Amino acid sequence: MSNQALVGGLALTALLGSAVAQAEDTLTVYTYDAFVSEWGPGPRIEKAFEAQCDCRLRFVALDGGVGILQRLELEGEDSAADVVLGLDMNLMAEARDTGLLAPHDIDLGPLALPVDWDDDTFVPFDWAPFAFVYDTQALAEPPHSFEELIAAPDDLKVIVEDPRTSTPGLGLLLWIKHAYGERADEIWWGLQPHILTVTRDWSEAYFSLFMNGEAPMVLSYATSPAYHMAVEETDRYQAVAFDEGHYLQVEVAAMTRHTEHPDLARQFLDFMLSREFQRELPLTNVMYPAVDLGDALPEAFSRLIDPEVYIFSPQQVRQHRREWVDEWLRASTR
Amino acid sequence: MTAGPQTDTRDWHRARWPLWLGGLAWLIVVGLGAGSLGALLWRAPAVDPGALWHDPYLGSVLRFTLTQATLSSVISLGLAIPVAVALARRPSFPGRRLLLRAMELSLVIPTLIALFGLVAVHGRQGWLAPLWRAVTGEPAGYLYGLSGIVLAHVFYNLPLAARLMLQALERQPEAHWRLAAQLGMTRRAIWRCLEWPALRRTLPRLAALVFTLCFTSFAIVMTLGGGPRATTLEVALYQALKFEGDLGRAALLALTQLAFCLVLWAVALHRGPATSLVATGGQRLPAGRWWRRDALGPSRLVDAAWLAGLALLLLPPLGAVVIAGLGGLPALPDNAALWSATGLSLVMALTAAFGALTLAVALLLGSERLRQRGAALSAGLMEGGGQVILILPAMVLGTGLFLLLRPSLGGGWQGYALVVLVNAFMALPFAMQVLQGALLEASPTRRRLADQLGIPARARWRWLVWPRLRRPLGLALAYAMTLSLGDFGVVALFGSPSRPTLPMLLYQQLGGYRWQGAAATALMLLVVVVAVFALLDRLSRRRPRYPQSRYWPTSAGKDPESDHA
Repeated sequence: MSNQALVGGLALTALLGSAVAQAEDTLTVYTYDAFVSEWGPGPRIEKAFEAQCDCRLRFVALDGGVGILQRLELEGEDSAADVVLGLDMNLMAEARDTGLLAPHDIDLGPLALPVDWDDDTFVPFDWAPFAFVYDTQALAEPPHSFEELIAAPDDLKVIVEDPRTSTPGLGLLLWIKHAYGERADEIWWGLQPHILTVTRDWSEAYFSLFMNGEAPMVLSYATSPAYHMAVEETDRYQAVAFDEGHYLQVEVAAMTRHTEHPDLARQFLDFMLSREFQRELPLTNVMYPAVDLGDALPEAFSRLIDPEVYIFSPQQVRQHRREWVDEWLRASTR
Repeated sequence: MTAGPQTDTRDWHRARWPLWLGGLAWLIVVGLGAGSLGALLWRAPAVDPGALWHDPYLGSVLRFTLTQATLSSVISLGLAIPVAVALARRPSFPGRRLLLRAMELSLVIPTLIALFGLVAVHGRQGWLAPLWRAVTGEPAGYLYGLSGIVLAHVFYNLPLAARLMLQALERQPEAHWRLAAQLGMTRRAIWRCLEWPALRRTLPRLAALVFTLCFTSFAIVMTLGGGPRATTLEVALYQALKFEGDLGRAALLALTQLAFCLVLWAVALHRGPATSLVATGGQRLPAGRWWRRDALGPSRLVDAAWLAGLALLLLPPLGAVVIAGLGGLPALPDNAALWSATGLSLVMALTAAFGALTLAVALLLGSERLRQRGAALSAGLMEGGGQVILILPAMVLGTGLFLLLRPSLGGGWQGYALVVLVNAFMALPFAMQVLQGALLEASPTRRRLADQLGIPARARWRWLVWPRLRRPLGLALAYAMTLSLGDFGVVALFGSPSRPTLPMLLYQQLGGYRWQGAAATALMLLVVVVAVFALLDRLSRRRPRYPQSRYWPTSAGKDPESDHA
């Protein structure tokens, strides 16, 4: 008997769960998990915004930008999200096409990005170029372009992420495509002897392998050394500027169309471009802020590489991604 | 005989509740499993199986998946045989118990942690790298590529296989070993008459289990594979589900995987009888009781070599995780996030484990009752229902369930409930394997005797069922809890309002460059897993209070295992 009750109870737990009482004016923000962690920007931003909005801010942590978009798509118009924060540029076209996001109508004047920005739906909140980070103790003279890397002896290994499963991986794919166009597959083919392995995501590449000394170079962000310099106080890990220029990663936020608190959502997006919000980002998210922070930008950021940067439009990425991924697959498996 | 017990006995036989219970559990498991696949297909705009089959990418993916899974399984099982034989032949040596515990852990170590340990030991800059360079004159690059994948799979599966084979060897009736001693049987004779017949019975199921685990492997294959040549079906599935948002393709890939593994399991179940796969801690070989001629002489060296090999495979990577984590220890008492994550993880794991156990017991009782009634096929189906989950990717299960149940989901806590449900499903096949042996063994002869004596249901439970069930229940709980503890994929899928579980905390720390903290979290996860096993082992081992147990020949009261296992 009690077994029966238990089985029933199990099903009920799933079906009903525990109802969480929600205050009237709770703003729900879908974001990725590193953002809300104790040392991430989330907690302090929550406090600062709640102090000025007379509302509650609730973060829901999901599995990266892809996880946020997928959850939004699955939930559709019933989604609890008022704001989504943490999509990257390459997801913008798909996110826009869901029809679930609304124009932001806020002033983009404060933006200080290395590229022009006048999107009516997405508000950028931080950015960084993709770059190879190298260990100065293991590699005195890093290559300064993809072609130099190809020409280097075969025992110079790099760790990269997979474009099918990770944001930096897709970034590298677009970087090489933007820099070399038709010759991209040649570059990939040339890189093969130097690629130690292709990991599922950034964490495995950076920590399981690179920080364990498995290879002297890893695909990461140009801003990664800032963390090592500012927090760990070591200059050992540095990014290398490539002659081809660098592909840019821009993280964006948007409000949903069906939100019950459009004014609050707009207020949050506005707040996102304030110094109060932006100054939390450099050392927690380890990215450049989207506005000019002046002296508030940590000193370590002035010692980073400052390469030429570029991006494809979100539409181009959406249109060609499958084809470019296939091209990469062919070039790296032939 | 009084009327009372007789009525009880008849009630016990006629009672239909095990059927209803089993049926309900079956409906829940199979219904939600099939439902989640169906939900994906239903939400997919257009499903075109033809396109999938003509995709050359999929062909190469399938070929690679099969190659690496076959290679990993053959090597794991092939090496597990001599290891198990050596362990059976040496029932007591210093560290044997530690080695067995480490072997049991291998099933449940989270991948990220295992990867870290493997890289620290076998990587290009690993502990073994200088040795490798000295011997071969080349840098140690063997961790990347097919060799690395196989190494990691052997690290996971050899201990598992050897542990279960040891169990099979030790289950051989004591009389056989006595005879072997009296006859002074040689190495070959013991192998031919005792060891091989015992192993042969478990091999088909064991092979199917190991093959399935390697077939569905994901993070290991991607990290150590060295490039897109090493892509398994599970990776393609992840790609379809997460990066292309192609639910239909994901469902089709899941169906392909399901079909392959189902065929394999059908063959395995057809060839091998239903024996418990997972160590249940039942009857064990009394320590060093029977003299074995083949345990003397040069075989000492051979066995020592095999056991040293096992220890060298298993212990250094775990040691590397511990050493890295020690650096984070000083900050541990103030690390509120870590303690809170540990608490949350434990609560969720315990809930999931109880769910898994309840479902497992219901399914097993139901199928046993069906078997008693002569409905063997239905019984097999009911039992098989619980095993299907092993082949259904957790990602598909999770996303499908989300689609199915979403309308009734609101706030964040329901997300946790869903995670618990999926974790309970994931642990179900293992819980069933552990409990199966105990429930079945408790059955025929004793049951007949109890029938003849007219023992009432309550007394049966107390004297017949419970003493044999408590240890397997403890072990099943431990496996289910630790599988859920280490789960990251499902938790990440559903997300959470700010409070992370231990594996989520680990990823958050890595995402925020918190290297030291992450190492400490990994150590904590490992410690919790070991503690759960040790605690449940201790709790379920406690002697029953009733003194009669002394006279109960093989029940928990008399526990030869406590001497040496």
